[in-house]
Amino acid sequence: MGEFFQTYFDFSIMGDNFNAVLEGFWWTIKLSLIGGAFALAWGLILSVIRQLPGKALAPVRWLAIAYIDCLRGIPMLLTLLLIYGGLGTLQSTGTIPEWLGIPEFFGWPSSFWYGVMALTLTYGAYMAEVYRAGIESIPRGQMEAARSLGMSHGQAMRFVIVPQAIRRVIPPLLNDYIALMKDTSLVSVISLAEVVHVGQDVYSTTFNPSALTLGAIMFLIVTLPLARLVDWQIKRQDEKFQRGLA
Amino acid sequence: MSDETVSLSEDVARGETILKVSNLKKSYGKLEVLRDIDLDIKKGEVICVLGPSGSGKSTMLRCLNLLESPTGGTIELKGDIVFDGTKPKNLDDLRRETGMVFQSFNLFPNMSAKENVSIAQVRVRGRKKADADKRSIEQLTKVGLAEKVDEYPDRLSGGQQQRVAIARALAMDPEVMLFDEVTSALDPELVKGVLDVMRELADSGMTMICVTHEIGFAKEVADRVIFMDGGYIVEQGPPKDVLDAPREERTKKFLGLVLDH
Ligand SMILES: Nc1ncnc2c1ncn2[C@@H]1O[C@H](COP(=O)(O)OP(=O)(O)OP(=O)(O)O)[C@@H](O)[C@H]1O
Ligand SMILES: [Mg+2]
Repeated sequence: MGEFFQTYFDFSIMGDNFNAVLEGFWWTIKLSLIGGAFALAWGLILSVIRQLPGKALAPVRWLAIAYIDCLRGIPMLLTLLLIYGGLGTLQSTGTIPEWLGIPEFFGWPSSFWYGVMALTLTYGAYMAEVYRAGIESIPRGQMEAARSLGMSHGQAMRFVIVPQAIRRVIPPLLNDYIALMKDTSLVSVISLAEVVHVGQDVYSTTFNPSALTLGAIMFLIVTLPLARLVDWQIKRQDEKFQRGLA
Repeated sequence: MSDETVSLSEDVARGETILKVSNLKKSYGKLEVLRDIDLDIKKGEVICVLGPSGSGKSTMLRCLNLLESPTGGTIELKGDIVFDGTKPKNLDDLRRETGMVFQSFNLFPNMSAKENVSIAQVRVRGRKKADADKRSIEQLTKVGLAEKVDEYPDRLSGGQQQRVAIARALAMDPEVMLFDEVTSALDPELVKGVLDVMRELADSGMTMICVTHEIGFAKEVADRVIFMDGGYIVEQGPPKDVLDAPREERTKKFLGLVLDH
């Protein structure tokens, strides 16, 4: 037991490296906030494209579906490595502009922005499915009632369907957000000094994983309350269902 | 036209035709649900539609306001074509002139009774919010829900919800009201309140088409009863003919079944 504790909870190592780990975790937070915001927006755009009406737009819908299926079928680590391995090269040959090839907005390293791109591309696909499921979970009668009152398809979506769907997509979106947050750790492989990367550095000099334990604790401080929040939201909605609403 | 000589009450018979349906057809894939429907609906007329399950009653009603797109035939609204056999025309006019009430109420659960009645007045009719709300309260009072204007649907009984739904449709000042088995989902003790509202509406001169299994209501309120089976109108006429002395075997059989219960 003592051995176990010494290995994983070496307080002197944790104390010595606390600031470095915290700084790494700050990158984790920034990645999940910015990547998360872009993924939310991109997912919404994809789900709207996927549901565009009419025969003429079928190819566009088909493209959106193909995109969503593919990105959900590839490990995010691969997407990240493809971005990292390709954009720099494409920039150096002049195929794409520098701001895209080696993005360094706000003076943050390009590995950070590659991470944001991978998170957006991958989690946008997941979130598009969440939005779609939310809209499809609204009973057909709601759209029919709105249309029979003279509303257009767009008005019915905007005033009737989407306001109801939003409540239902919040829990699954939060779930995806927790997953996204954990997947930010993958960006360590392209040398962004986020929390896992810092912990790993400490390990390679001390041969003790306590700094990684510290990183895990920091993750839990954020993800555990989020998980509770999801549960609470779901419960609240179940109660509404039992009262016969929606 | 398969129009039988129907002895409607005098004023109705002379009235203008509001909806004229000719050769209406509807198929889902190979399944022909409406085969050939001809129907003239006069201003102020109350029509009750009866028929066995699956005979196409709901489908016909939903074709009338083009919630469902027919596969053939034409629909005219006060002389203007709204469906020309292939696609809708003047759809906005049609939807504005027809109100619909559903078996499952379909109130918007995230809005109070008043908001349910106001939203389309504001967004479709372009009324000011205050005017719409005033109208909503009037309309809700008329259906006996003056005390419930700020309640949300989940706090209303089925009968109350259905009366909100009727108020919501009426607040748009439609020319015709379509009712699809609006009491079928209600507990027996709540049916009367909704039928009373419909009876009053009929007395006020509203043009109504009601799909219903309430034979008593049809007898009392209808100017014309239509019996449907297999996608056709099998028999139609005044309630005393169709309900008390049906000519067609299928009508007799159906009424026998319904009245046995
Ligand atoms: N969207 C649809 N797709 C395929 N078939 C449908 C669809 N809607 C209705 N039908 C079929 O059309 C037929 C007529 O349905 P409809 O709802 O009009 O019957 P109804 O007379 O209203 O019956 P009920 O008394 O049970 O309400 C049924 O066989 C039904 O299965
Ligand atoms: Mg029906």
